[in-house]
Amino acid sequence: MANTLRLYLSCIRNTLDAAMCLQNFPCQEVERHNKPEVELKTSPELLLNPILICRNEAEKCLIETSINSLRISLKVKQTDELENILTKKFLRFLSMRAEAFQVLRRKPVQGYDISFLITNYHCEELQKHKLIGFIIQFMEDIDKEISELKLSVNTRGRLVATEFLKQFI
Amino acid sequence: MGYGFARESPALKEILLRIRPGRPAEVDHHIYESGSVEYRVQSCASDPHHVYLSLKMPEAGGGSWAYALLSEYVDEMAKKYRSRVCEIVEQPAESCELTVRIDLAKIPQKREMQVIAKIAGVPALVVSSQLRQHLSFSHQNESQRGICKPVKLTYHPCQSFFVIRQPCKIILVYPMRFKEDSDVIIATAFFQELVDEGSSDKWSKAPQGSWSPIPPPELRGELLEDLKTNGGFLTFDAHPRHLERKKLDNITWAFLKFYAFLKYHIKSTKCFIQRRMKRRMESLLEVLHQTEEQVDENVEELQGSKTVRNLRKFYKSTGLTRRRIFSIKIRRIHFPVRIHVLSCFRWRCVGIQKEVQVKRYIRLH
Repeated sequence: MANTLRLYLSCIRNTLDAAMCLQNFPCQEVERHNKPEVELKTSPELLLNPILICRNEAEKCLIETSINSLRISLKVKQTDELENILTKKFLRFLSMRAEAFQVLRRKPVQGYDISFLITNYHCEELQKHKLIGFIIQFMEDIDKEISELKLSVNTRGRLVATEFLKQFI
Repeated sequence: MGYGFARESPALKEILLRIRPGRPAEVDHHIYESGSVEYRVQSCASDPHHVYLSLKMPEAGGGSWAYALLSEYVDEMAKKYRSRVCEIVEQPAESCELTVRIDLAKIPQKREMQVIAKIAGVPALVVSSQLRQHLSFSHQNESQRGICKPVKLTYHPCQSFFVIRQPCKIILVYPMRFKEDSDVIIATAFFQELVDEGSSDKWSKAPQGSWSPIPPPELRGELLEDLKTNGGFLTFDAHPRHLERKKLDNITWAFLKFYAFLKYHIKSTKCFIQRRMKRRMESLLEVLHQTEEQVDENVEELQGSKTVRNLRKFYKSTGLTRRRIFSIKIRRIHFPVRIHVLSCFRWRCVGIQKEVQVKRYIRLH
């Protein structure tokens, strides 16, 4: 792993570790309702300052915290059109299957490629450090997958081009 | 080469294999292959030995070239198999350009598969006749070489290409149009590889390819509609050394099927990406499920200890209840009349602690 990526991920890990102190908190507006405050943003006293961690202009992570929920939004690097389309395809594919991930948001926050929503219930069901581990693993895997896919598409293109040219010989 | 790019029509091959000579069967199939090219296969119950194959090409009809090529092909077949299996019908079927009569009885039984494969190659021959003629033109009539206007060949409404004849080479220009952005990007990556690979010494015998987002200067003056693309223009420069007579059939077919080849590549690449994404998602889910399983195990452990605790509580509470019931009974038996003064002694004797019941608050002075 590149040194900058390791630093970026460890920074996110530490921030998440600090920010993921969630507790059950009923909605202050509607009685007998329990809603993620980070989504509703009805009471400013229940929200913490959002944290933006940037590796570079194209790669950043926004962590928004509230008393009972946490929202993590990721922007994945896209250096060229092929990476852009592969990232879009892959993240759309995952977003469409968000129910399998439990913590994945169906629609990303504007300006980001993918978002997670973690509530106090998720923290109770899954261990906090394991959940953080999953997010970090997810980020690593996305980067790896996009790079591998790009390489594979180009390799396939070369092989197909060779097959086409073989017809002339 | 993929199944879809073979010269023999798979549908026609299957139909011909189904029809047995001498068995009367009514067959009338309309097959669309290579875009808008229509084939019609007919067989009447009254004439069980003959099958009629008619071809209808809307725009890129080979006309006389196709007829000449086909008659040459039929003669070649007759020589090779020593039997005149196919014959061109002088009056083609209604709204068709060419009709071939196939005599099933004359097919040699030992070489049935070979002959049927050869017959299934007839549509490909007819379809490619026009392009073949353009490609062989420079080779045959060297004295007539000169710069000509681009010829537009359309085998599919959205997939037309241009053939431009120049003194020393023939240029084939493919305008690239795609429905989706992802198709454009996959195709562009392929063009890049094709151009890079084609420029190496290994492929010096193959026509040189180049890609450009703008139309090449040779297409100046063409209709604006034909020059509107979202995937740029792919150009092949075919020199006479590339277009040898022996290889001409294969080369023609390769150029003719280029769009289909590209489409197939895009489709299979998309499928490949989808498979990869699915696999990666499963691996990511595994990470999450491992977390869940570990949590479940911990919860089970906790539940175990809780159960033990509950059990202890239960036994304690039941013991207390028994003792309390026992004390009440004793109280009723031995002290039917309650003397409040003696109550403290009674509790001490029985050995049961008295429950503290706050009935009223004591006012503090």
